[in-house]
Amino acid sequence: MMTDIGYFSVVVALIVSLYAVVLSVIGKKTGRRDLIASGQNGVLAVSGLLTIAAASLLYAFLSHNFQVEYVASYSSRNLPLLYTISAFYAGNNGSLLLWAWFLSLFSSLVVIQNRRQNREIMPYVISVLMITAFFFLSLLVFISNPFQKSLLVPPDGQGLNPLLQNPGMLVHPPTLYLGYVGFTVPFAFAIAALLTGQLGDTWIRSTRRWTLFSWFFLGIGNLLGSWWAYVELGWGGFWMWDPVESASFMPWLVGTAYLHSVMIQEKRGMLKVWNMVLIIITFALSIFGTFLTRSGVLSSVHTFAESPLLGYLFLGFIGVILLFSCVLLLIRLPLLRSRNELDSFLSRESTFLFNNLLLVGATFAVFWGTVFPIISEAVRGVKVTVGPPFFNQVTIPIFLALLLITGICPLIAWRRASRRNLTKNFLYPFVTGLVGGGLLFVLGIRNTTALISFTLSIFVTATILLEFIRGTKARREMTGEGGIKAFLSLVWKNKRRYGGYIVHLGIIFIFVGVTGSVFKVEKVATLVKGESLTIKDYTLRYNGLSRYPTQNRYVIAATLSVYKEGKKIGILTPRKNFYEGQDQPTTEVAVRSTLKEDLFVILAGYEGEKATFKAIINPLMVWMWIGGYVLSLGGVIILWPDRKRIQKTEDRGQRKSGI
Amino acid sequence: MKKKKLRFIIGGIILFLVLGYLIYSGMRGTMLYYMTVSELMDKGDSAYGEGVRLGGRVVENSINWDSLKLELKFDITDGKKKIPVVYKGVVPDAFKSGADVIVEGSYSPQGGFHATTLLAKCPSKYRPLEDEKT
Repeated sequence: MMTDIGYFSVVVALIVSLYAVVLSVIGKKTGRRDLIASGQNGVLAVSGLLTIAAASLLYAFLSHNFQVEYVASYSSRNLPLLYTISAFYAGNNGSLLLWAWFLSLFSSLVVIQNRRQNREIMPYVISVLMITAFFFLSLLVFISNPFQKSLLVPPDGQGLNPLLQNPGMLVHPPTLYLGYVGFTVPFAFAIAALLTGQLGDTWIRSTRRWTLFSWFFLGIGNLLGSWWAYVELGWGGFWMWDPVESASFMPWLVGTAYLHSVMIQEKRGMLKVWNMVLIIITFALSIFGTFLTRSGVLSSVHTFAESPLLGYLFLGFIGVILLFSCVLLLIRLPLLRSRNELDSFLSRESTFLFNNLLLVGATFAVFWGTVFPIISEAVRGVKVTVGPPFFNQVTIPIFLALLLITGICPLIAWRRASRRNLTKNFLYPFVTGLVGGGLLFVLGIRNTTALISFTLSIFVTATILLEFIRGTKARREMTGEGGIKAFLSLVWKNKRRYGGYIVHLGIIFIFVGVTGSVFKVEKVATLVKGESLTIKDYTLRYNGLSRYPTQNRYVIAATLSVYKEGKKIGILTPRKNFYEGQDQPTTEVAVRSTLKEDLFVILAGYEGEKATFKAIINPLMVWMWIGGYVLSLGGVIILWPDRKRIQKTEDRGQRKSGI
Repeated sequence: MKKKKLRFIIGGIILFLVLGYLIYSGMRGTMLYYMTVSELMDKGDSAYGEGVRLGGRVVENSINWDSLKLELKFDITDGKKKIPVVYKGVVPDAFKSGADVIVEGSYSPQGGFHATTLLAKCPSKYRPLEDEKT
């Protein structure tokens, strides 16, 4: 019954989404407000219907309704509650429903936000949003119906893939989807601006928060994905350039470029065409990312559902988006003239430009490496793959250059930097970076890439700190506030600027964590009970195996005592889990984290009393996750609603009344 | 005015060329040919020493694991021909008789295929329906 309601809601939502498109367009063309309003109500209806659909699928999971094929394929009676909920988006059909549901909610929010503004472009914004919803809803109705029932009701479901039974996997997919789906909003505004010819920067200002929101969640989603790979896949790394990883990384890279280049349009009225191109590419790549996970065109650890039809439909949709957007852009080209020109190489505009070129270049390299196997097979008939070495070799120099620009860009003057501006802002950070790099060299770091990366990281951190110190000092002198208070209100009164610096700082920490992997050390050994293995300054003594059952699995755990410089510092228990209904074990790694390095141990195998371990030292690993927290903090600060405008009007009111 | 524009265009071109070079040299150094077992065997001597990514199925009862040397020996097949594989390192969870695997490495006249990477396809969990048919 509930599932029928769910399916029915999706079907109705499909019809209503089309209705909203048609009414909006006709309303706009004929200038009839009532039709436009009706289209807007259609958007609200779609989100209501899809909320019902999502709730009924969730209900099917919670009530273990195994008559629903999707529920039977991804859950079982003994699955813990949280993972029963996350099974919602463990497979293809549920993920598509999640996508459509998020899109409908965002669309409703856009409608509500713009009740009183952007009247001119809103009908087209709604059309673009609802056409996208229509596409996903058609997939749900005609191809990937999550409410499909089977004739036979199995007594129990097949359970959830053990690899997905991890806290990271609870939040990783929805986080990523918030990002993917969120980019639909700025894209819709961009297309609407092109269609109406209202090409000022209102569309950019209206979607600034949406862009930040999407960019932020896409980034966090990527980071959560690598955290999951690190603790769950048990191979000691966090990123392996799997096509699906690249798929979610690419829209983030172009999104980063877009996020920066719109600032130039806001401030200087330049790069208008470029911004259009960037948001179109970002959106297309978001759909492409969803497509890559869904289609199975590329072999990968986490592609699900090899349904070629679904793949073609996605490719077709992307093709239509690109063709339509490009034609539209070409038609409107004359209206997209820049107000200004670039003045000098040594200016903030030009660093923005280079930041953009580098980000897009990196995206192109990743894209090339990801799709090259398909192209090569189609063109030359030879199947070729490029692995992580390719991606590392190509992207590392680009990312180092970006790191340098991250340091220069926020401090260099607009238009044309004078020598005074350069020495004032860069002398101290430059010297700090050089001294830091020199110190690391003396301490014995000889890897060139790592040295450059650390030196640049120190340089950029110094520029950011200098900004904070100067700002705080100025504020203290101006207001007479105490140090800490001045610092906090500095950040709070200029959220966009200082939040941005904090995000940069988070990115630097992530760079440091990634650079640490250059110094990774591995050791594999087979030990008999009582024997030890030594890796760097750690000694691991093997104390034996224990075997015990838990709620839905059988655990084999090895106990290792960890010694450092003769002192016992802890116990690690790497495990193998045998989940019910699975004929293969799942490796559960043991990690001991410090700021300096991670000790990472895998139980690779066991035979009687012998066990084989792989121990890895991952230097500076924890900084990646710290970077994630810092980035989140910065993101929250930027996204926090600004009450300045209200404050100002109040101030004015008070002044007028003479208070 | 013109001169300034020219400088930016030159800067862009240099960036573009550097990117092209990075991609080109990266491809040359790291490209792997993706082949089936038969395709590799049919190449004969010319296949020796070249970086290859090989897909196939693990032959039943061919697995030999030396826990002291941490060396895994097994045969893989594409249904027509089979090839012995030697791999050193940690064996993935999904590896077993009959599993679909991907190995990366090179083929040598002695001792068959030396794999540096061993990937076992994730469990068919994602596609239970198709799996029952095979």
